[in-house]
Amino acid sequence: MSVVTPTRATIPKPRGNGRQARTAALLLAPFAVIFLGMYLAPLCFAVYRSLFVLKRDGLGLTAPTLVFDPFTNYLKAFTDPVFIESLGRVLLFGVVQVPIMLALATGLALLIDSRSARAKGFFRLTSFLPYAVPGVIAALMWSFLYSGTSSPINALLAPLGIEIPFLGEDMVLWSVANIVTWGWTGYNMIIIYAALQSIPGEILEAAKIDGASAWNIAWNIKIPMVRPALILTAVFSIIGTAQLYNEPKVLQSVSGGSIDSAFTPLMAAQAATAAQNYPYAAATSVILAVLVGILSITFFKITNRGSDA
Amino acid sequence: MKSLKRWGIATAGALAATLALTACGGASGAPVESQAPAPSSSEAAAPAELTFWGWAPGYADSVKAFNASQSDVVVKYEEIQPGSRGGYEKMLNAVQAGNAACLGQVGYETLTSFAAQGALEDVSQYANANQGEYVEFAWNSVKVGDKVFGAPVDTGPMAMYYNKELFEKHNIEVPSTWDEYKAAAEKLKAADPKIKISSPYANYDYAGMSWQAGAPWFGIEGDSWKVSVDSDENKKVAEYWQSLVDAGTISKAPMYDPAWFKGLGDGSIATLVGAVWQAGVIKGDAADGAGKWAVAPMPQWDAANPSVGNVGGSATAVLKGCETPEAAWKFANFLSTDADSYGNLIEKAALYPAAKALLDLPQLAKEDKYFSGQKIFDVFKEEALRVNSDWTWGPNMPLTTTKLDDGLNKGWAGNGKLVDALVEANTATVENMKSQGINVAD
Repeated sequence: MSVVTPTRATIPKPRGNGRQARTAALLLAPFAVIFLGMYLAPLCFAVYRSLFVLKRDGLGLTAPTLVFDPFTNYLKAFTDPVFIESLGRVLLFGVVQVPIMLALATGLALLIDSRSARAKGFFRLTSFLPYAVPGVIAALMWSFLYSGTSSPINALLAPLGIEIPFLGEDMVLWSVANIVTWGWTGYNMIIIYAALQSIPGEILEAAKIDGASAWNIAWNIKIPMVRPALILTAVFSIIGTAQLYNEPKVLQSVSGGSIDSAFTPLMAAQAATAAQNYPYAAATSVILAVLVGILSITFFKITNRGSDA
Repeated sequence: MKSLKRWGIATAGALAATLALTACGGASGAPVESQAPAPSSSEAAAPAELTFWGWAPGYADSVKAFNASQSDVVVKYEEIQPGSRGGYEKMLNAVQAGNAACLGQVGYETLTSFAAQGALEDVSQYANANQGEYVEFAWNSVKVGDKVFGAPVDTGPMAMYYNKELFEKHNIEVPSTWDEYKAAAEKLKAADPKIKISSPYANYDYAGMSWQAGAPWFGIEGDSWKVSVDSDENKKVAEYWQSLVDAGTISKAPMYDPAWFKGLGDGSIATLVGAVWQAGVIKGDAADGAGKWAVAPMPQWDAANPSVGNVGGSATAVLKGCETPEAAWKFANFLSTDADSYGNLIEKAALYPAAKALLDLPQLAKEDKYFSGQKIFDVFKEEALRVNSDWTWGPNMPLTTTKLDDGLNKGWAGNGKLVDALVEANTATVENMKSQGINVAD
């Protein structure tokens, strides 16, 4: 997006070209410096670093040497069942959690947007509120609600003889999904709601005059018109899912082993870093970034097919 | 857009990248400390100057006392973040950049990993003369092969903390062997199913159990490592604890979790087999247990040949690039052995001495109100002298303990077997060492 800005600025006034370009460059400089220094440089360095392997000899009691060996780390990653499993896990997570969250967000946005809604401000704020709680704090709070030793939910259900194994092996992924959904539905709702607000009143008016029901208006007019917002939130959610870290990391200590050190790809990379294997951590991070890139672009392509919105 | 989350993760990523960056290329942001110009061998009048990085409360006082006590060496103390919270990273990065302090506070379990990064200086030629002043296992903790990398400061001999009130109420004898411990677990459970004998042990707390049982995880044979996390002796320890898990006598509350402190306070967790410094942990966070708890020797496998494990403890290590290793050793030895200065460390940092002569310090002869007036250090003194001296840490403990914990946590929760954790940790460790070209004996 930002790349477009200078071009736009230069087109209307060709005469002031030099000065305007300088002004544009000056205005862009802070962004460019930070983007290069904080984003591109580490990224390139990660790629570079991933092409080396650590080598030692004997007892390994001297500093390791880095040997250029571009494929070893990548081959290792693709044959590492732990890493592949973590990729599969976040994929499953995304396939289930993202649609549920976006459906909820869309539903909430439509409700608040509807003509008969009362106390819009109140509902908008309260559904957005979980987003204001920092991720780690939220995860700590939920870990208390889930934990086998402290869960008030299970304490309430105990007299009925029911115990929900929130952190059991089969359920823990969905317990994490619940935290993420709780935290991000309101956020996505706001984006979709903002898009709903920009639908021209006359279109809705016309539909109403034609006798369309509120349900029909929502399904056939509003949702198609907020399609770009839905695609945007979906892509951001896909990226967020791939970067799943805070919630499982916090739950790990109370999970009774259901969440291991390589539960998500980022946790696996973090574990490799802790084990002083930076090159391997870099390789897994690069793989993750490439996969997310491919997935996001594919999603854009598919959803934009046959639509000029 | 999950911007907040992404921001957090991006920050973490940037941080990791920065660490990687500094680790690789010497672009460290750490300020360049003035290195003492004069090597100690020259008999110049100017005193040797060196810097010491540490975090234990009271170290600053010890440095002052040292500087006042003599005029050959001037030590400058700089307090840094505790090791696991960034202190170790700082040291490793500074060593890479060539501007590290001469001395750093390094935990025993991390010392070998530091050596494996080439971050330590061998000072055996100065240090060996003082070997006899330290308890044997502590001395072994600063040694890798024949090299000595620093002076042991404190240790963590283990004992059994137990809820005396609970044992008395149910009329159960305090166990002195692991068989009796298991019997006590069952009796307590029979008396009240809510009472669990203990709680899950992970990484270094678990290592203490192996340490006691003479079941080392690592060893050095000539030019090769021997990895024995899944040895028969280790399996025996794991199977023992597995039998307690299977009998339903182990709490689900992980150590240091709020639920654990609650259990220690309210009598639902009856014992904790842990290091001397756990006394401070219990007192601080399980205040409800005041007056109920007491300390007894660690239960034994073989009562005739008592042996004890160790958890924690740290050394004053000589970092690579130190130009005045002899002066560095002189200070390190003072810090660990000077009675006045160490008395202050006991009061301020609750350290437990690694030097034999200091085990009788008056600060270690006090009655403790929390433990109903028991002189708990009397127990620990006996234990310290019985700590098994045959223990070596591996070259990549973060990797080993991470894998181990993955499995142990499952085992303690009843979703797997503790023995499997040993096998997995062993396999991963050996694979990692071999892939980097380190010699591993089969």
